[in-house]
Amino acid sequence: MTARLPPGLQLEKVDDRIMTLNVGPQHPGSGHMRLIIQVDGDRIVSCDPDPGYVHRGEEKMAEYRNYITNIPHLERPVIHDSCNILYPYCLGVEELLGLEVSERAKYVRVIASELNRFTYTLYWLAIYGIFLGHSTMFMWPAGDRELAIDLLEKLTGARVTHSYFVPGGVRNDLPANFEDVCLRQINYLEKRLKAYADIFYDNPILIARTEKTGVLSREDAIRLGTTGTVLRASGVDYDVRTKEPYDVYDELDVHTNVLKNGDSYDRSKTPWLDMLESCNIIRQALEKMPKSGSVRVKLKPNPKGGNDEVYKRVESGRGSLGAYIVSRSKPEPYRVKLSVGSFRNLICMPYLLKGEKLGNMPAVYWSLNYWPVEADR
Amino acid sequence: MGTATGIIRALNSGIKHLAVKRFTLRYPEEKLKFVGDGYQFDPTTGVGIAGYKGRHMLFHDKCTGCQLCAIACEGVAEAIAMVKVPEEWKHNKKSIMPQIDYGKCVFCGLCVDACPFYALYMTNDYELSSFTKEALIYTPSQLQVKPEVKQDVDIVIDDRGATHG
Ligand code: SF4
Ligand code: SF4
Repeated sequence: MTARLPPGLQLEKVDDRIMTLNVGPQHPGSGHMRLIIQVDGDRIVSCDPDPGYVHRGEEKMAEYRNYITNIPHLERPVIHDSCNILYPYCLGVEELLGLEVSERAKYVRVIASELNRFTYTLYWLAIYGIFLGHSTMFMWPAGDRELAIDLLEKLTGARVTHSYFVPGGVRNDLPANFEDVCLRQINYLEKRLKAYADIFYDNPILIARTEKTGVLSREDAIRLGTTGTVLRASGVDYDVRTKEPYDVYDELDVHTNVLKNGDSYDRSKTPWLDMLESCNIIRQALEKMPKSGSVRVKLKPNPKGGNDEVYKRVESGRGSLGAYIVSRSKPEPYRVKLSVGSFRNLICMPYLLKGEKLGNMPAVYWSLNYWPVEADR
Repeated sequence: MGTATGIIRALNSGIKHLAVKRFTLRYPEEKLKFVGDGYQFDPTTGVGIAGYKGRHMLFHDKCTGCQLCAIACEGVAEAIAMVKVPEEWKHNKKSIMPQIDYGKCVFCGLCVDACPFYALYMTNDYELSSFTKEALIYTPSQLQVKPEVKQDVDIVIDDRGATHG
């Protein structure tokens, strides 16, 4: 009686040589997801990603809360990148409600979202290190992440899940002396990031392990709809921050890092190069930021939008992150849809893992910059 | 770069870190410093004041029992319940004040943004663990107490690296 079991649990005998393996759902990475892998010896014949274990119905929940009380739960899918996941939502609601955000608030937002890029990407890098058995590369990013977390804690009052961005600006102004502390810690963080080159990125063992595994060609990257670091590792120069600048990114000099091989090595390197670029962005923003001014528009209780819909997107740590919001003249949104980078990057997993050795699976899986909780929402 | 040089450089980089200071924060022997006394909000300007979002602090001499904080929390965590207080205040006719369940609260601070009378702030107190769920429910009189928070270390950066000192 195997017919009624869910996929992956059936004992189907395809061939005497082929064996079905379930990787997950208790995955040592982050959040739960399962890969149903069929192997012939140690070659992967097919891979079927099975997400959905951490679906929380965030989009449905958003229909029952007003534009402000939606903030704490909408940032839950990626608690390490909570400013970036709220960013498109706030930009969208601002357009729906017709709010004009002050120049200073825009700069503060850029700083907070770039700091969040560190906290997310360093966490991701730490897990990538431990996936490959490189425990030093787990310890260093996990420790250095504290520098960015400390800055965010001073700025927003929470180490993760900051609830900092609101439609109309940010919750509070910078604390006293923040600019100096930020500059000092970012300069030190940049020095630390550069130290990763010798031990990790130029390490012949890592290169042998990840080079030419899971190669995603430029054409496939575009065809499968990947975004962010995965797309840039395949040689496509696309970054929402430069192509469709939001807030003050058009006033800042943002350099996009494009690598061309599209293998796991390049995909693991682009986030690191992005972090180095984030140091430059934060320094520019601190310099150009207006020294005073309001950071938050005063809203009336239960603000309402018109009969309108809006789509906004930003560049998050995992790729382009969009929010589609429909308003029907009520204090609650009629529909909120998050279009997340993780899910789009997940789509290329079956293509990349086919024909790969089973031992290379973690290197390819985590290089796709996939965050299970965000993909499931 | 050859394989051998690469491996030697990687090892060398690791060995050099023996001289780098230890970054670990030795909690609970050491505790981090925070900016300010906790997150606060100024209803006249509509902007918050930076600070840590920890346990709340309620000022009984200012709270009017208007319930706006409880209404704000309804959409978030339903952590606030309005309860009767034995005290009598001229400005609080119904004698009701918020009671906060920290088993539910997510420390977003939206209730602080909602209070129009400067009565509800957040503090630096984050050590709220308890053995029972009931002990997590803080009554208005418990919320009135200003917490004693030990704060001694901050991140220090020098030539030998960053450390908590
Ligand atoms: S901080 Fe947020 S969750 Fe906690 S009581 Fe206030 S509104 Fe509710
Ligand atoms: S704390 Fe503030 S919002 Fe809550 S009941 Fe008292 S006055 Fe009203």
